[in-house]
Amino acid sequence: MKDALRRMIRANKLSLVSLIVIFLLILFSILAPWLTPYGEADMDLMHRLSPPSAEHLLGTDEAGRDVLTRLLYGSRVSLMVGIVPTLLSMVIGAVLGVTAGYLGGAVDSIIMRLADIVLAFPSMLLAMVIMYTLGDGLFNVFLTLTLMNWGTVARIARAETLKLKTIDYVEAARSIGMSKGRIIMRHILPNCIPTLIVLFTLNVPSAILTESALSFLGLGIQPPSASWGLMVNTGRQYLFNAPWLSFAPSGAIMLAVLSFNFLGDGLRDAIDPRLRRR
Amino acid sequence: MTKRYRLLSFAALVLAAVMLCGCFAGADEEKGLLRTAIKYDITTMDVAKTTDDYMIPMNVFDRLFETRVQDGNAVVVPSLCTEYKVSEDGLTYEFTLMDGVVFSNGNALTASDVQYSFERLLILANQNTDIPLEVVGGQDVMDKKTETLEGFKVADDTHFTITLSAPNAGFLAELSSPAMSIVDKESMTDGFGTDPAAMIGTGPYIVTERVANDHYTMVYNEKYRGPEPTVKKIIVKVIEDANTQNLMFQNGELDMIDLKNQDSAIIQSVYKTQYADRMVSAPNVGMIFIALNENNEFLKDVNVRKAIGAAIDVDTIITALYNGDAIRENGIIPTGVWGHNDNLQGFTYDPEAAKKLLADAGYTDGQISFEIAVDNALPSTVKTAAEYISQSLNKVGFNTTVKNYDHAAYLDVRRSGAMDSFVASWGMDYNDPANIMVTFFGSEANVKARSLNYPDTAIIARVAAAPAIVDDEARKAEYQALEQKIISEDAAWIPLYASMHLWCRGPRVASFTPQWAGFTDFYVTDVVLND
Amino acid sequence: MKRLLQAVLVLLLVSLALFVMLRIVPGNPVAVLMGEHANEATIERLTAELGLDQPIHVQFFRYLGGAIRGDFGTSYSLGKPVSQLMGAAFVNTLLLALAAALFAWIVGGLCGLLAAIRKNSIPDRLFMGFSLLGISMPVFMVAMILQYVFGYWLHWLPISGVSDWRSFILPAIALGWNSAGSIARLVRSTLADTLEDDYIDTARAKGLSETAVIWRHALRNTMLPTVTMMALQLSGLLSGAVITETIFSINGIGRLAVQAINGRDIPLLQGTVLFATALVIFGNLIADLLYKVLDPRTRREVKE
Repeated sequence: MKDALRRMIRANKLSLVSLIVIFLLILFSILAPWLTPYGEADMDLMHRLSPPSAEHLLGTDEAGRDVLTRLLYGSRVSLMVGIVPTLLSMVIGAVLGVTAGYLGGAVDSIIMRLADIVLAFPSMLLAMVIMYTLGDGLFNVFLTLTLMNWGTVARIARAETLKLKTIDYVEAARSIGMSKGRIIMRHILPNCIPTLIVLFTLNVPSAILTESALSFLGLGIQPPSASWGLMVNTGRQYLFNAPWLSFAPSGAIMLAVLSFNFLGDGLRDAIDPRLRRR
Repeated sequence: MTKRYRLLSFAALVLAAVMLCGCFAGADEEKGLLRTAIKYDITTMDVAKTTDDYMIPMNVFDRLFETRVQDGNAVVVPSLCTEYKVSEDGLTYEFTLMDGVVFSNGNALTASDVQYSFERLLILANQNTDIPLEVVGGQDVMDKKTETLEGFKVADDTHFTITLSAPNAGFLAELSSPAMSIVDKESMTDGFGTDPAAMIGTGPYIVTERVANDHYTMVYNEKYRGPEPTVKKIIVKVIEDANTQNLMFQNGELDMIDLKNQDSAIIQSVYKTQYADRMVSAPNVGMIFIALNENNEFLKDVNVRKAIGAAIDVDTIITALYNGDAIRENGIIPTGVWGHNDNLQGFTYDPEAAKKLLADAGYTDGQISFEIAVDNALPSTVKTAAEYISQSLNKVGFNTTVKNYDHAAYLDVRRSGAMDSFVASWGMDYNDPANIMVTFFGSEANVKARSLNYPDTAIIARVAAAPAIVDDEARKAEYQALEQKIISEDAAWIPLYASMHLWCRGPRVASFTPQWAGFTDFYVTDVVLND
Repeated sequence: MKRLLQAVLVLLLVSLALFVMLRIVPGNPVAVLMGEHANEATIERLTAELGLDQPIHVQFFRYLGGAIRGDFGTSYSLGKPVSQLMGAAFVNTLLLALAAALFAWIVGGLCGLLAAIRKNSIPDRLFMGFSLLGISMPVFMVAMILQYVFGYWLHWLPISGVSDWRSFILPAIALGWNSAGSIARLVRSTLADTLEDDYIDTARAKGLSETAVIWRHALRNTMLPTVTMMALQLSGLLSGAVITETIFSINGIGRLAVQAINGRDIPLLQGTVLFATALVIFGNLIADLLYKVLDPRTRREVKE
């Protein structure tokens, strides 16, 4: 894995830049309270919708809150929503997929049917139904995104497992009498990891975009909490009055999405040149 | 090379074609056509089943009376009823129906149609049962013991008598509310409410088309008895996105726009500047208020409630969020309603006094923690105001948070009587204080269902009895006394403001007079076109 | 036909999952519909009328029975039969999706094609830059910019609603924008790879014109991964349609679903989601079959 990373960094400057950008985004979101003098919800009603100035570097929004502050706090939400559920769904999907692939039979069928059900829904509609069932709020957005993504991961993990099942040293391990669990943990899972990591970086952007779509529909994060998607949507009606309200968070979304995409591409190129897409 | 040029020129051709077609977009509008938009589709055309969707009932049907604005006051004027007489004890009303009125299908309007209209509300027992229940025998009909309303006596086709169980001086005002629309008994079918062809009324329009979730169309009723309106056809489109509505209006695709969905900053920068001479405004007769739950351990202390009242700077909200297009409300009976008390001393903004009240009562900073609930369906300006209120309260030592509920959950929790406090909006259905006083403070069931849990049963009883006071002045005095007690002494209700309802006319509309209460729904006959 | 049975099974499981999810939501939908002025007695009566007080499995089988006959219940919030509402909406969504797919393929394909031919030059970077915009801009942002620029500023196209074919242009572009970006990238990489393969050089050496090389050899190999992508795209298009239809006020399945959520309208939500999912399942089935037909390897096998 480290070799792959090194290879990628040397070969692909763009991926390196993306990695740095992502790191910075995460850093800024963690340091948010220290980077800005304003609280997330501090309203200055008399100065709402004011343009960027010395006091408010990115202006104020429709409730008089500092946009830069909201952007930083919103990055916490948007990045968390992008990363955590994707990570969770990776873990769940990997475990289920590998188990299905290795054990086969009834277990395989059940797990794959479950995955089929989840994958059959158009993603937005599935997200809407789950949010409707659970109610809105950050935690439920996490749950929703996790539930949405584990299916693809499981399928891919299963495919990898089927390939790996027949490799020599796995056969050898089985003949020695190593338990199924140990084989999965020691031999199969570790070999799936590179593919899964690439999948992870490529799924994060779609999670961020799905959250912003849910917020647009009013199903995700609720005001006064901030998330990039929510900010873009609220800012839409002020496009002529106060364009910075929509463009700042849109820019942030695009930056994050592109960075993860490039990183994923770079990792994929480095890990498996056969899958290379220039 | 050639291939690329070919592709590019093809693309240019397509673009040009689109552009040319585009220049013809927005072709000439039909004469007499009015195009408007609403945010959410109506749930039903049947007024018996809704308390929100009044556009079709108001225009396709008539009522015995109407409430109209005359010289700045909302007065009850006769409509289908030409004469009436009230008995001394206020219990019996004799009505005379207008002669020669026909429904849109040619059927004659008779007193039995009026009777049936009352009975139908009770038989369906869905919504809007409050008013017909006041008639003797109303409960029996609702309990399914009979289908005939005992207190309604038909003398002949144009004369009838209604007897109430208790006197109610606001009865005539109630008869002007859209719920009391008169339907045709003979042609009533199951499709009433969903099928446009079943909507048979005596009003100036008929429904010709309804495409769910898209639009509905009303067309002038040739058989209408009144003067011919300039609007011969109205198309109401369903456009949820406020921004899209805004763009469509400026593009000339809508003839009128309801600005309640637009942020005041946009109204200020776009509408008041570019379309200043076409703005129409009417007060929203009603108010935005905060209800406090007296079962809550902190909110049961009157000092806490008074501190809340003193901690809110309503004037800043009005200036900053509404650009001044709102008026301060100080009581329960809103401005513009008969019985409104101009002299009522409400809460004054004094954060120091609020802090002192809390300190004197022994509360520490941040100790009083409760939730302010907000219905997601409220306009965003009200939601922002709620945020600001929460922040203001926290500045004087409270620890409040605003919780957004989706509409369903909001109604559920509130009805259970367990909501800490909520910011809400109330619009008057008819011009009488009972509509708000009784709804919120008129019975123990009511105070629970609105999560107020107001404990003073003596006052509740007086509120319930107030509508029966026959003498106007005495009744007004009683309402105002009750209001005074509830607000100034008990601080059980925190009034905030009533916003102005703004519209903008398109170039084809010469004038528009909104409904007396500032409803979103309006009488199409109150729109005059230029064509 | 094992695939067909599998698809039907998945559909059944999907409808069961959907049914259960929507029923475990707390709060009585009838109470919501009645709003502020509801009274307990009426709520109880209407609940019984709608059959909402029955145990869940009874409700499910009743629903299935109805669904087979084409009756998906009546919408709470719009008062009409769900099947009727969906029928009208489906046409609009289908037209929108087709237009979007067309846009995505033509524009995306062209961008990818032109970028691949002129690899590593300025046009390449330009087209790939556009494709990046494609995959990173959220749908509602694209829609909003299109509305403002082409509808409001330039007055070229309608801002909302469905009046004639022109109403579909902006929404189709907004909806297809993401896909166009992905397709551009895919076409470029696959085509670029293919163009450098040996047999292409052979063809060129034989004297075939550049155009013929591209058309006859390279593109055909690009078709396969692109068709595979088509199956994935149907699901994505229906997802994106939810937002696009809301912004442009197009009466389609997506907008109906949003309306259903806002109105706590279970039958409508169930109907629309089930319908959309069925579309995706059977769309995938057809794509799989098409794949089998198009894959030169299987074709060769069949010939032998």
